[in-house]
Amino acid sequence: MPRFGDLEAAIMDRVWAAGVPVRVRDVVEDLQRERPIAFTTVQTVMENLFRKGWLRRAKEGRIHRYWPAASREEYSAGLVEEALQAAPDRAAVLARLVARMPRGELDALRTALEEAKEREGLS
Amino acid sequence: MTVAVVLLGYAAVLAVCGPRLLGAPAWMEHAPRLGIVAWQAASVSFLASLVLGGLALSVPTVQVSANLAEVLRACVLALRSQYATPGGAAAGAVGATLALGVFVRCAYSVAATMASAVVARCRHRSTLRLVGRPGPASGVIVLDHPAPAAYCVPGLRRIAGGHVVLTSAAVGALDGPQLRAVLAHERAHLRAHHDLVTAAAAGLAAAFPRLRLFQAARAHILRLIELAADDAAARSEHRLTVAEALLAVASGPRPAGSLGAGGSADADRVRRLIAGRRPLGRASAALSGLAVALILAGPLLIFAGPAMSTLNTACC
Repeated sequence: MPRFGDLEAAIMDRVWAAGVPVRVRDVVEDLQRERPIAFTTVQTVMENLFRKGWLRRAKEGRIHRYWPAASREEYSAGLVEEALQAAPDRAAVLARLVARMPRGELDALRTALEEAKEREGLS
Repeated sequence: MTVAVVLLGYAAVLAVCGPRLLGAPAWMEHAPRLGIVAWQAASVSFLASLVLGGLALSVPTVQVSANLAEVLRACVLALRSQYATPGGAAAGAVGATLALGVFVRCAYSVAATMASAVVARCRHRSTLRLVGRPGPASGVIVLDHPAPAAYCVPGLRRIAGGHVVLTSAAVGALDGPQLRAVLAHERAHLRAHHDLVTAAAAGLAAAFPRLRLFQAARAHILRLIELAADDAAARSEHRLTVAEALLAVASGPRPAGSLGAGGSADADRVRRLIAGRRPLGRASAALSGLAVALILAGPLLIFAGPAMSTLNTACC
């Protein structure tokens, strides 16, 4: 039995990959290629994702078609921006690795690094 | 009263001289972890002096004897005599307010900082869970993003659950050893609970925004945790590989809206890695450790000193 969160991620994966609005049945068939899964389980999770704002949907006859509220890249960009923007000790995440540096400084550091590598026989 | 004056004086000296004394020493570049402890010790010691100084103002000292009833009666008498005079009562009230006020304000601010970080972290993780892809090692998540970046999301439980996040551009820009160096750096943050270290420092800085000691402690601790994590990475990979990895990430395209500041401090980190770190000699490490212990023990010694030396007085 997969954990609920994993299933949410798997479903979002399929919806993003599809590129067009999908029915619950499409997602179920896609998922069933990897593991047996019940229609109602997928339906419940997709309704949850709709309620949480991850999916949009529209009724077409008697069935819903779902599509993502935003692209994966948009969500990723939001996360990365949050991580890099916030003060490192107030944020959800800890200290970005390193800040961007001006071109001139980078070049000077690269030169110093190459010299050190040569001195220590690494290059 | 003397005890209170000495404690409050000690706090004042720490507040004025602390930032200058701890801001300069070169040994912190060689022993960043000890440096972090030194700044924490100065902060805790300052707080303890204020709180204990306030307490010493509000409660008089009495003779200690074997008979508990005797001590209690002496206490009551001493308290009554202090609070009988308007001056004594005023000093007592000021002391109690100072002790309680400082303690509550700091505790609240640190708790609030940590709580807001936990809330933000939960939100970040729930998005990350759906958007991220499994990375090249366990506990690593990759985000599709055109700018190279790496950060870590501390776990909510003490031991398990911290994640390192890399952007796809970072995975593309780093070779195997560089990637391992970056992971070692981020995992060092997680292992050492740097999230708690920085949240405590930020909480104190927010509680007293005008106090240079806390502002300096926060800024220096933020810098020193990066040095400590760099050192951890340099233990796992060659230090020049760590420098190379930092440069590779620093030279990528800038993500929209990211702050440009902090570049020169990071350039110093790279220079430090290139120069090679000379670990602190045993003697200087011991000396620095002793100094830190003294800073920390100062207020306690002053507070309990009279009682300890004569063994016959104590605070009520």
